[in-house]
Amino acid sequence: MAKEDTAFQEQEGRTVLLIEDDSAIAEEVIGELKARGFFVRHAARGDTGLETALLGEADVMVVDRLLPGMDGLSVIENMRQQGVRTPVLVLSALSAVDDRVSGLKAGGDDYLTKPFAAEELIARLEALLRRPDDTRVTKLRAGPLEMDLIERRVWRDGREIDLLPREFRLLEYLMRRPGQVLTRSMLLEDVWQYRFIPRTNLVDVHIGKLRRKIDVPGEEPLIQSIRGAGFQLRVSD
Amino acid sequence: MFLTELFRTATFRITLMALAAMAGVMIMQFGLVYAQMEAVESRRSTEILEGEAELLSQMSPEHLEYVIRRRATGDLRLLISSVGLFDPGHALIAGDMHTWPHGLKPDGKPHNVRIYPEEGDPYPLRLLAVTLSNGTVLVLGRSFHLLAEQKLMLRHTMLVAAAPTFMFALFLGIVLSHRALSRVKDMHEAIDRIMAGDIHERLPAAKERDDVERLAGSVNRMLDRLEHLMDGMREVGNDIAHDLRTPLSRVRARLERAVAAGDGVEGQKAAMSRAVDDLDQCLGIITALLRIAELENSRRTEGFAEVSLGELVEDVFDLYEPIAEMEGKRLLKHPQSTVVQVWGDRHLLIEMLANLVDNAIKFTPEGGSITLDFGSAPGCAMLMVTDTGVGIAPEERQVVLSRFYRSDKSRHVPGSGLGLSLVSAIAHLHEASVSIETGTHGVGTCFRIVFPT
Repeated sequence: MAKEDTAFQEQEGRTVLLIEDDSAIAEEVIGELKARGFFVRHAARGDTGLETALLGEADVMVVDRLLPGMDGLSVIENMRQQGVRTPVLVLSALSAVDDRVSGLKAGGDDYLTKPFAAEELIARLEALLRRPDDTRVTKLRAGPLEMDLIERRVWRDGREIDLLPREFRLLEYLMRRPGQVLTRSMLLEDVWQYRFIPRTNLVDVHIGKLRRKIDVPGEEPLIQSIRGAGFQLRVSD
Repeated sequence: MFLTELFRTATFRITLMALAAMAGVMIMQFGLVYAQMEAVESRRSTEILEGEAELLSQMSPEHLEYVIRRRATGDLRLLISSVGLFDPGHALIAGDMHTWPHGLKPDGKPHNVRIYPEEGDPYPLRLLAVTLSNGTVLVLGRSFHLLAEQKLMLRHTMLVAAAPTFMFALFLGIVLSHRALSRVKDMHEAIDRIMAGDIHERLPAAKERDDVERLAGSVNRMLDRLEHLMDGMREVGNDIAHDLRTPLSRVRARLERAVAAGDGVEGQKAAMSRAVDDLDQCLGIITALLRIAELENSRRTEGFAEVSLGELVEDVFDLYEPIAEMEGKRLLKHPQSTVVQVWGDRHLLIEMLANLVDNAIKFTPEGGSITLDFGSAPGCAMLMVTDTGVGIAPEERQVVLSRFYRSDKSRHVPGSGLGLSLVSAIAHLHEASVSIETGTHGVGTCFRIVFPT
């Protein structure tokens, strides 16, 4: 994928610590991250990875579960006990039903099962790097969009838009992350709390319905589909 | 060789223990009879001696002397084996006792005294001495002869009885152990054959009349189950190969064509992205299979909590309504105010219901409807997904829940063919049953999940 047609932000100077023992996957991920402008540090063992993590120099971490020296979950638990708050994305080839739960319980912030698409990884890292602002606000603004969380109302340039509760939830999620690429599985997991995709066009249909209400013909389209990755609320601020 | 093995069998050891117990019981019985006999004989001796002494002491001294002299050779010998009349200085007046028995007290009570004759071995005698009115002492003695004879007889009897009893028990033990041994040996051989790869082989269980046969029967049933599972796995393996072959061949053909056609960058990009889609489908199949395997193997119910079926229906309805609408079908739910709760994992239950709804939407023609409903009956809670689709023939109903089964009617519908297997795996984890019925008014299908509550 050439860099100019990517919807992802340039991540100049952001450091990712990758703890992964499989050299093929590591190489792939490092190449992908560097192409996006990330600065990457790599550890192939759990124990050495933990040492690096404790330096606190990384902005975000990608940790595999099965590692020599020390398993990924122990690395995260240790790190959290020592007060390092770096956001962590857990990678795993284990697909156990409650594997994700144990990964998140150990202090991981997000979870991705192998095999994964590079776009999925990048989108999730971006989401981790840009945690949405204070969730206690009562009004959200994103470009021409305005949302009142108390009264559950939405306006575009002053025109009120009537949304169903599920559409409201979806738009709230998008508005809290303007400019970020959001993959289908991220939307399913965070908006519906689903962990599986029974059919691929599920999210597209929901986005489609929301888009028809938000982007009236003649207006500048705000909700963009990013081929091969997902969706993005594109607002020029 | 056989003997050493024989001693190692439990049956034989038990036989030996039983033998030891029998011997103990016999010895105890014998001892009791023995003691009883002695007691009876001693009581009889006492009575006889006392009775005779009573009788004899009534007589005048002269008459008594005469009687004693006569008795020494007369029939009194049967009851009283020896008699002696002694003067107060313990010198013999008449009778067959030559000397005053050593240590005898003339107190009118019977005493067991050892007699040392001039020739021959000493022998015990039961003696009773009474001092008569004229100062003479009458001594009556009764031998233990009779008792000794009876005891001897008893010993003989016991030996004669014990030997064949023990021999018979031992023989029986050996025969039984041998039988058990040969059965165990047969089982060993059968197990060896099974381990060598003949999984159709079974242990000899006959009619399961005893513990060993029942155990063999249980092992056989376990083997049946394992064989069934292995067959299942083999089938799944074949199915995976079969199901992955199609999309993989497509990928291959596409890429080959793209290479051969020498299209521009755009054409190649398109070919690649289609190949990626095909590969995603392969991965989807593998993921679904892994999930099913996981669910079938996992007995873990960590994520279980009270789940409201109403909320479950709401959630899935919320997710699927736009999909149905987009495809020109109606997704409906029965409005209900009752709260029905089941014990389960919310995520898995949503996945199950979503799969059912997804399936129902797929197989319902345009203009049809899919209805979600739930309810409860005593001891159970129910989830129903009813569609107005093509329906499932009764003979296909059980089969559709197995892996990869695609009805002929569904060949053209995309999907991994694993949705319903996933449904049945999740239901199984929740101890719920899945039944497939004809839909309302004889149209379409109704999937009914019944949970125990």
